[in-house]
Amino acid sequence: MKYTVKVDRQTFEVEIEDINVRPVIARVDGQVFEVSPETGAVAVSPVPAAAQEPAPSSHSNSSGKVLVSPLPGTVIEVFVRSGESVEAGQVVLIVEAMKMKNSLRSVRNGTVAAVLVSAGQTVAHKQALIEFTE
Amino acid sequence: MDLTAILPELTKGLAAFTWQNAVMIAAACVLIYLAVAKEYEPVLLLPIGFGCLLANIPLSGMTASQGMMGVLYEAGIKSELFPLLIFIGVGAMIDFSPLLSQPRMVLLGAAGQFGIFGTLVLAVLLGFPLNEAASIGVIGAIDGPTSIFVATKLAPELLAPIAVAAYSYMSLIPIIQPPLMRLLTTRKERLIRMEYTPRPISQATLVAFPVVLTLVVGLLVPEATPLISMLMLGNLLKVSGVVERLSKAAQNEIINIATLFLGLTIGATMVGSSFLQPKTLMILLLGLFAFGLDTVAGLLFGKLMAALSGGKINPLIGAAGISAFPMAGRLAARMAADEDYDNFILMHAMGANTAGQLGSVIAGGVLLAVVGKLLGIG
Repeated sequence: MKYTVKVDRQTFEVEIEDINVRPVIARVDGQVFEVSPETGAVAVSPVPAAAQEPAPSSHSNSSGKVLVSPLPGTVIEVFVRSGESVEAGQVVLIVEAMKMKNSLRSVRNGTVAAVLVSAGQTVAHKQALIEFTE
Repeated sequence: MDLTAILPELTKGLAAFTWQNAVMIAAACVLIYLAVAKEYEPVLLLPIGFGCLLANIPLSGMTASQGMMGVLYEAGIKSELFPLLIFIGVGAMIDFSPLLSQPRMVLLGAAGQFGIFGTLVLAVLLGFPLNEAASIGVIGAIDGPTSIFVATKLAPELLAPIAVAAYSYMSLIPIIQPPLMRLLTTRKERLIRMEYTPRPISQATLVAFPVVLTLVVGLLVPEATPLISMLMLGNLLKVSGVVERLSKAAQNEIINIATLFLGLTIGATMVGSSFLQPKTLMILLLGLFAFGLDTVAGLLFGKLMAALSGGKINPLIGAAGISAFPMAGRLAARMAADEDYDNFILMHAMGANTAGQLGSVIAGGVLLAVVGKLLGIG
C-alpha cells in the first residue's frame, strides 16, 4: 500500500507492507524504516542496508532480493525476523517437503526486510518467503 | 521326592544352550544396540533383534509351530500377509505426484533394478540354484517387503538371511551409498541444478493412477499383483481424500502392527544352528553386492541422462532409483545440498525413488513369473 506524506512542503512516497504488523515496515525512496507507531516518533529507525552484497549466482533458486521456496511444502520454523541482518549461508528457515526437513539458507549477506510466511504455513514452489533490503 | 531329578530340570535351558545360540544372542544385542543407541531403522531392527534373542533361548517353545513365533510365521510370513499389509501403509505414505509430473524418472526406477538381475547371474555362477539366486538378487532393491514376498515363494529356507540383509542394508544406506555416489559422479555433476517445473497433476489423475497401474501391472505380470495392488490400495486411500480415517489407519496402526510382528517373526527365524552357516555369509555378501550394483546402475544411468539432457539432470538422483523409499530419495537430495546448499533436487529424487519402488515390485513379480515357471514353483 502506498501513501503520500507531506512533511515541511516536501512530498514523500511511503510504501507500507502491512499497517497491522508491528513494527511497521515502511519504504521511502528505497530506504527501509521500522516504525512502531504506538511508542511515538522516537521509535522510527532506518534499517541499515548491507554495504556489500555478493552477487547471487545467476541460476540461484532465489533472486537476490527475495528468498523463494525451492520446494512445495510446509514451513516448520522461521529463524529470522525483519530487521535482522543475515550472512550468506545462514539458515533462515526450514521447509518440510516429502517428510524431509530442508534448511533454507540465505544466499547473500543482508538485512531481512520482511518475513512473508510463518511456521505451519503451506507454501507453493517459488512462493516468496523472505524479502531482503536492497 | 527325588531332588536329583529336579536339578537337571532347572538347568535344562543352560544345558541345551549352544555356542551358536551365544553368537546369535550377541548379534541380537548388536541389532538392539544399533536401534537404540544409533537409531538405525529402529522400527525394524528393534523387533528383529528381540525376535532373534527369543529364538536363541533353547526350549522356550516360542518358535515351535504352536508357539507365538510359529503361529505368527504361519499366519503372516508364510501366507505373505505381513509384507502385503505393510505395503498398504507404504502406499498410503507415498506421494506419486513428483513422478507423475516428471514421467521420465521412470527410467531411473528401471535402471535401479539392474543389480537384481546382475546379482542373480553372479549367484548362479557361484553355484546357487536359480530359485535361491533370484531371491538373493532382490535384496539389491532394498525393498524389505518385496524381498520377503519373493523369498517366501521361491526359497523359504533362505528367508531369514535375506530379510536380515534387506533390512539391515536399508539402515546402512547413508553409509553404503555416499562413497559410490562420490566415486561415480564429478563435483560438477553433483552441482547440477534441476529446474523444477512440474506439470500440474489433477485430482482425477492422482486417483486414476493407482487403479490403472494395478490393472496394467496385474494383467502383464500377474505374480506382481498382490504387492502392487496393496501398494496402490494404500495410495488410493490417501489420494481419494474421502477416507482419511482409513488412510491414517494404513499409515499408522496397520503398518505399525504389521512391522512389529514381521520384525519379531523374521528375527525369530534367526536360530543359531541354521543361521550360522557359510551360506548366510555368502547371502549377506551377495546382497551387499546387489545393493551396490543397483546403486551403480542407477548412477550410471543418471550420468547418461545428464549427458543426453545437456547437463540438465543431476546424476545423483539415479542412486534413488533403487527402492528403499524414502531414504534413498532423501539421501540423494542431501548429497546435492552438501555440495551446494542452495541446490534442492528433492522432488526429482523422490520421483526417481517412487519409480524405484514400483520398479522393485515389478522386478520381483517378473522374477516370480520367470523363475517360478522355469522351476515349476508357485
